[in-house]
Amino acid sequence: MTSKTKSVVLSLGLAALVAGCGRPSNISKEADHGIAGAKMESMLDSKGDSPVHTIAMPHDESVFPPGPGRDEFVTACVVCHSPRYITMQPRFSRTTWLGEVQKMKDVYGAHISDEQALRITDYLISINGKAGTGHKGTYGE
Amino acid sequence: MNRRGFLQLLGATGAAALTCSCNRIGSVVGTLSSPVSLVRFPEKTEMILLTDRPPQLETPLHYFRQDLTPNEAFFVRWHLEGVPTSVDLRTFRLNVSGHVRQPLQLSVDDLRSQFESISIIAVNQCSGNSRSFFEPRVPGGQWKHGAVGNAKWTGVSLRSILDRAQVKSGAVDVSFNGLDAPPLPSVSDFVKALSIDHARDGEVMIAYAMNDQPLPMLNGFPLRLVVPGWYGTYWVKALSDVTVLPRAFSNFWTDKAYRIPNGPNGTESPKHLAKDTVPINRFNVRSIFVRPDPDEILHPGMPIEIEGIAFDSGYGIRRVEVSTDGGATWADARLDPEIGKYSWRRWRTYWTPGNHGLYRLMARATNAAGDTQSNEQWNRSGFMWNVIQQVDVKVG
Repeated sequence: MTSKTKSVVLSLGLAALVAGCGRPSNISKEADHGIAGAKMESMLDSKGDSPVHTIAMPHDESVFPPGPGRDEFVTACVVCHSPRYITMQPRFSRTTWLGEVQKMKDVYGAHISDEQALRITDYLISINGKAGTGHKGTYGE
Repeated sequence: MNRRGFLQLLGATGAAALTCSCNRIGSVVGTLSSPVSLVRFPEKTEMILLTDRPPQLETPLHYFRQDLTPNEAFFVRWHLEGVPTSVDLRTFRLNVSGHVRQPLQLSVDDLRSQFESISIIAVNQCSGNSRSFFEPRVPGGQWKHGAVGNAKWTGVSLRSILDRAQVKSGAVDVSFNGLDAPPLPSVSDFVKALSIDHARDGEVMIAYAMNDQPLPMLNGFPLRLVVPGWYGTYWVKALSDVTVLPRAFSNFWTDKAYRIPNGPNGTESPKHLAKDTVPINRFNVRSIFVRPDPDEILHPGMPIEIEGIAFDSGYGIRRVEVSTDGGATWADARLDPEIGKYSWRRWRTYWTPGNHGLYRLMARATNAAGDTQSNEQWNRSGFMWNVIQQVDVKVG
């Protein structure tokens, strides 16, 4: 088997595994389930067969790498949002991350002390930080 | 592919799937440098994951090769952890109250049977769409160009609902609240407002359908405010409360959040932040390349169709110019027929690259008011991006 063939077989194998979990690998396919095929009447009529419309949100198993302030981060931050809110950001400076943590405390009312805010900032720097200075962020972004 | 490559591929596509807990969406930290991860949320197709809780999902670019963005691919952005996941239409009511003579409690059945239905094709775009292109970078949802979509919205004009509620004289603002809830009492509930005149303009509407289907839960089932030409922050999802106020509305989400520098195109300098800010409002004019794909292979002498979308706040797109030489020369693209003043307009042009090498494609839209796009823009919140897009492609 050439390496190219292997790659195709492995890719197909992966696609099958993923598809087995309801996640087709071909993103150009439109969703084949849920609301797309539903009739307006049956979904919006309170006297219809299914007046209660419910979804089950996916559960994400968060992974927190070791680092200074990890405990404070896990205790204070994850109640309101998942760690992807940190990992999707670019690597920010201490100024920027501290500004974000202070915003969470002062504006959104996170239950953290000033000392814990510094520890949490240490953690954010350790998993997604950079040297130098930067801007404080704003709100609603 | 070697074993390491295979494992990397597994990591990139969601190793969690292998353990077959079907509702899990992959490991979180450790993906700092990994490629785009696609996820599937309820009633949605595979979308680009920004965040899982609260969810922010971006539309893959290829869906913009259609006039209307499919519901299952339409972008998702929630602010608060308490995203509504269940609605009982037997008990759900839209409450209209405040500075009115006749408060209303309307079921979805009432809205569909007692009011004239209207439809409008309109772009909805997140205030922070394309935020990741601002330099210096700013915190917030790191969207590329996919926090936007175009849909046909069907529902009831807000004016007809307010008329039935009989607004008292002296009304100033109308506020809008949805079923989403803050995770802590200290977090401000997500409520937005429009002026009474804007709310009664006959175009702002309460939609119960999107592209002739009920809205997906993550896009605001069963009702969503539609504010044509205005940024998505006003399009309150799972709308449950409309309150008429005899005073200007005030809360965190209006006074502190979603504000832009009070100057041309919401721009300020990183060194001199604007002191005067105003609430974000109408879309500026912009265009987005939809084709070629970043990884599309182009060949010398082989014509390809360059394709994109352009929109503004309702004046209408009048011209899109395309450059294939980094802005040295420009030529008009062909505009598809206009399908609504709040819709985006698709455009296309043929290009035959002459030689091997790197080319910089650029696109610049102009609207009926003469507004166009520029080469520079920055603000601290990463809002209203409309810099002339540059796409670098390799030929050969």
